[in-house]
Amino acid sequence: MKTGDVKLAFIVTKLPYKSETSRLAITHALSYQTVEVLLEDNQTITPSLIFVDEGVLNCIKNHKSMEHYELTSVETHLKNALLVEMDIYVCKESIEKFGVLPERIVNAEDIGAEKSIKIVSKDEIKEIIKRADHLLYF
Amino acid sequence: MKVAVFVSEYRCNLNPLEYIPAEKLGFILVGNGVYHAVLKENYQDSPILQQKGDFYVLLEDLETRGCETDCINPKVKPVTYDDLVDLIFYEYEKLMWLQ
Repeated sequence: MKTGDVKLAFIVTKLPYKSETSRLAITHALSYQTVEVLLEDNQTITPSLIFVDEGVLNCIKNHKSMEHYELTSVETHLKNALLVEMDIYVCKESIEKFGVLPERIVNAEDIGAEKSIKIVSKDEIKEIIKRADHLLYF
Repeated sequence: MKVAVFVSEYRCNLNPLEYIPAEKLGFILVGNGVYHAVLKENYQDSPILQQKGDFYVLLEDLETRGCETDCINPKVKPVTYDDLVDLIFYEYEKLMWLQ
């Protein structure tokens, strides 16, 4: 196994709820904290979540899935990811295509997270993907 | 024939509609189909909303996804599960799902 820091890019293209795909991307990315107990001292894992195309619609805030279906929301998972300081990126071109305003994107200030979701261009996303060691598409 | 068409996907094939000889079509947007009611991809209404018929969106599914009711396209009527039951029982004779 590669030593040092292993960068994982979780790339989310699917819509939320109808399937579990996008939720799995977030929970898998969050699981890096559990996996670290199995690593050697000189190994670390740095996941990042990247939402592109229709996947950006996961990042709209105020999900009411718990109220209507008693289902933990994708938003809650995203907030937990921000709380553990995971890097989360949303494609600027995609949110513009769907007419989603930046202020409608999830943040986790209410639970004390210092990080926020970064809205970045497609070119910046390509650079992030280039730097990753492994790509995981959801 | 009055047909209610359930739409639960954002990307779906509209071709089957050509074969439905309905005098009245009602599109009921549920699941990920609710995005048709609120998104204007590239500033255009969804192709679903360009069909002839009545349009309904399930509020519970819309709010689950964080979409706001004031963003609902004026062509689309928001409905609850209770309203949906009434539509199925009293307004439409047949139901179909568009995948």
